[in-house]
Amino acid sequence: MHYFMIAAILFLGGCSHIGNVKPWEKGTLAKESMQNNRGNRLLTKFEKHVYFSKEASKGGGGVAGGGCGCN
Amino acid sequence: MQLKTRLSYIAASLLCVMHLGAENYVNVQFIGYDEDSGRTTVLTPQVEVNYDYGADYTVNMSFGVDGISGASPTFYDAASGASAGSRGTTTQQNVRYGDVSYDDVRKFVAASVVKRLESRDEVTVGLNYSSESDYYAGEISAEYLHYLDSSKNSAVSLGAAYQKNAVLVHCYNGESQCDAASGSSQRFDIDVINAELGFTQVIDKNSLVKVSLFGGREEGFLSNPYMNVVRNYNTLPHITEERKPDTRTSYGATLWYARSVTEKLALIGDYRYYHDDWEIDSHTVNLEANYNLNSRWGVGAGVRYYTQSAAKFYSGKKEFFTGQKYASSDRRMSDFDSFTYKFSAEYAFSKVLQLNTGVTYYNQPDWFDAIYYTIGVKRSF
Repeated sequence: MHYFMIAAILFLGGCSHIGNVKPWEKGTLAKESMQNNRGNRLLTKFEKHVYFSKEASKGGGGVAGGGCGCN
Repeated sequence: MQLKTRLSYIAASLLCVMHLGAENYVNVQFIGYDEDSGRTTVLTPQVEVNYDYGADYTVNMSFGVDGISGASPTFYDAASGASAGSRGTTTQQNVRYGDVSYDDVRKFVAASVVKRLESRDEVTVGLNYSSESDYYAGEISAEYLHYLDSSKNSAVSLGAAYQKNAVLVHCYNGESQCDAASGSSQRFDIDVINAELGFTQVIDKNSLVKVSLFGGREEGFLSNPYMNVVRNYNTLPHITEERKPDTRTSYGATLWYARSVTEKLALIGDYRYYHDDWEIDSHTVNLEANYNLNSRWGVGAGVRYYTQSAAKFYSGKKEFFTGQKYASSDRRMSDFDSFTYKFSAEYAFSKVLQLNTGVTYYNQPDWFDAIYYTIGVKRSF
């Protein structure tokens, strides 16, 4: 867990140029192909249900949406 | 010159809004799941409707039915047949491990509303409900997403969900917590609270990353009423229902990353770490690639690896349990790995009509495998 947080902080901290994207440059980020299962929520939901039924772990998929600022 | 630049910015923004903006659609999917050539099959038609009311509200609704038939492996007493209720004191020769059959129909409905505030921060409220013959689950969730900068490249989100479940437990052999006098089903509750804190960062115009921390707490009847264990196998074998602790606290973290490598190819990767106080640790790595062949055809492929450690009260051996308070031989509580491979294709008949199909293969080595097929259509309006 600690290694994960350190890696995440280093990853984000090392990207000093990040976040300089204007709203009209987000066309690529909003593409369906940039989302799991091309943004098909029903498929993602079924996939999660299979894993939930067959494995002992759950959580981490978010309780709601994303946040690329595309809307 | 300044005016010209400003006008071009406005025009670009309008194009952006037109492209990124709201989408109204109906999505219908049919999924067929087949486990070990018929051990468990699930057929599920599902429908989703997404509708934007202006730029400030998005309503999403979905519903579906799962028709489930199959078998679940557990211990049973051969003298009284292969069923989850085949329990009681028996002989060593009559202790069997095998599939006990079941059939069920699961219905579910879900709805969510996203409200975008003047600052364009988002509030999402969701409701979920599902029912089976012996299980009911209702959930309410809420999330607030706050943009940290005017270009909306950084956002934090905080969400929480409360779930109320009810499980009907048949009083097999009048044992344990069941009402031996009536022999009828009893209802037990499970309360679940989940929370997640996320941070999303647009790295550049081609990539995006999200980090999140999550936690959960479950309280109530967390045992599986269809799972049995053997106690005192070496002295006086007794088959009884499994017993898991009445509480479970979990937490973990995820790292999700998506990058458009070329105009046609996007790669998505994520990692999840999970831990709970049943001493289950798990790691999940998931990779997906989506490739647009041309304006009509798109294909996708994915691979997922999952590994977990065993719960502290798990043993798959019939000789293991004697008088322990908690005992489970449910394979989902064991240590195992799993692999998933998936392929998909999408075809756009027009700008408003898309067809998708896919196949997913799921495997737990030395235990079981499953395959499921999807076919669906999405109509925008």
